[in-house]
Amino acid sequence: MTRFSIFTNRRGASPLALIAFVVIVCLLFAFPSLVESPYSRHIMVLLFLSTIMGESWNIIGGYTGQYSVGHAAYFGAGAYGTMIVMNASQFDADKLLELQDLAKDSRLSSLLLSAHDLHPWTGVLVGMVAALLLSLIIGSICFRLRGPYFVLASIAVAEIVRITVLNLADLTQGAEGILISTLPPLTIGNTVITDFSNNVPFYYIGLLLVLLTIFVTWLVQNSKLGYFFQAIREDQDAAHSLGISLTFHKNAALALSAVLTSLAGSFYAIYIKFVDPTTVLSLDLSVQIVLISIIGGIGTIFGPVVGALVLVPLSEVLRSNLIGESLISSGMVNSDSAFGHFLTENLSHAHVLIYGILVVVVILFMPDGVLGFFKSMVAKKRKEAA
Amino acid sequence: MAILEIKHVSKFFGGLAANSDVSFQLEQGMIMGLIGPNGAGKTTLFNCITGYYPPSRGEIVFDGRRMNGLQPNKVCKLGMVRTWQKVRPLAKMSVVDNVMVGALCHTNSLKKAREMAMEQIRVVRLEHRTDFNAGGLPIGERKKLEVARVLATQPKLLLLDEVMGGLNPAESEEVIQLILDIRRLGITQMVIEHDMKAIMRISDRIVVLNSGEKLAEGAPGEIVKNPEVVAAYLGSE
Repeated sequence: MTRFSIFTNRRGASPLALIAFVVIVCLLFAFPSLVESPYSRHIMVLLFLSTIMGESWNIIGGYTGQYSVGHAAYFGAGAYGTMIVMNASQFDADKLLELQDLAKDSRLSSLLLSAHDLHPWTGVLVGMVAALLLSLIIGSICFRLRGPYFVLASIAVAEIVRITVLNLADLTQGAEGILISTLPPLTIGNTVITDFSNNVPFYYIGLLLVLLTIFVTWLVQNSKLGYFFQAIREDQDAAHSLGISLTFHKNAALALSAVLTSLAGSFYAIYIKFVDPTTVLSLDLSVQIVLISIIGGIGTIFGPVVGALVLVPLSEVLRSNLIGESLISSGMVNSDSAFGHFLTENLSHAHVLIYGILVVVVILFMPDGVLGFFKSMVAKKRKEAA
Repeated sequence: MAILEIKHVSKFFGGLAANSDVSFQLEQGMIMGLIGPNGAGKTTLFNCITGYYPPSRGEIVFDGRRMNGLQPNKVCKLGMVRTWQKVRPLAKMSVVDNVMVGALCHTNSLKKAREMAMEQIRVVRLEHRTDFNAGGLPIGERKKLEVARVLATQPKLLLLDEVMGGLNPAESEEVIQLILDIRRLGITQMVIEHDMKAIMRISDRIVVLNSGEKLAEGAPGEIVKNPEVVAAYLGSE
């Protein structure tokens, strides 16, 4: 019985799939020198970002079966941790004087003052630690609950985090958000790796993070931890009776997932250079993170990659009304006709609606995700051939 | 030597006594049958013993150690493990992966766990199903898988909750042989079973529960002649 083992949760990759993986990774590394356009790199960065988020969620949601719909909290922790420290490191003398004044009454201001002395890039670490602590707190509360109750609790706790960040304005600048005009150069020792003059460095950072999350997922899948996570997903009472500590393993899965998600948040923050609670801490984002995994296929290494490959272009095409525009510009549809009018006026505004409908269709007809759907198609073909 | 002592165990759900003042002992290496009409409290007793519920009163001593309040995973690590009346396969994992989860209870190496798992799969004769998804197995094989999985945790005491339920006579016979094989491995067993013929054949000793209380205890031959047991099962004037 042959199978695409690299695409499933079984052991051992087939040599063919491994070669394909290596070739694709090499092509991805060469991509910026092959394709000049900054827009294509932008799309790739969005793909990477989605993949990192999906892979991270997959560890707790896909492998351990705990559907956290509050991952924006960890994403926000990474994004805010990075931005706060980076912003503080760029304070000028006036701002520092003002802070010193404020610091007498406000702990948060004194915290910012001490952040000023940190290396700007340590914010990423700060974000990871914040996400880790947050995951342990959230885990200790939410894992008392099971199934749908856990989902609801995870949403609620993430909302608490959002509202807290909104109100800790001394530290987070509240609803205004934090904007950074220039990123400090990324250095190791005294060597400058990049000064972010274009978007190529973001491409490589994203690619490396994608490879990191895939590697971590692979490690999990091929370890005792992965077996225990999956056992908990399949039947937690049975897992419990077989000597698996539910509390420890659920929290371990959440912590791992949270730290990786915070990396996605940090990556987003330095790429967009702006964070505010509505973009990095919203329920929308939490749902988006879950969708990437579910659409692609949960509990598999490459499911989230497929999910990102489906969702990012889909949202991009719909947002830019690419289909409508090209139909009109190719002359197939007259822009003055009723249909043309519908395409330009109505459809372009309804892109979120269409996106939603397509997502529902995928979930209805491909319950195991796109990857699972194609896998069962291949299996069926094989069966017919045999 | 008694491997398990149940001392005056009671379990209340609100005002309902699912078990009240149950006491008995299991000797090392024996097979203890636990029988009783529906609702007699057999499964509740299993849940109390394996840590799913703390007993309301009384004490459970396993291998010289008080077990009250220990979580099921700790109970398993100490060498006592149960199967489920309604089988609980890890459906999307293969047969060998299911058994490996049990084996990983005492080892960190996947390779070693796999060897241990294969050994237990041979014991229950499921070699031909090694790479199948557990969710796709017929009921008879699911029950065997359940047994292989608990055997892989290297238990001293096995609690089997209706392993023959829903099986045809040929499959039941296989499970009976399996239980006898397990006894030969030196593992003590406590078996809940409704099939009277089977339980009389395999048990060294039988405890009868009725309405949460221990009604009788003795060798199979004594139990069938016990008028109270007959009355509990068939009803009496």
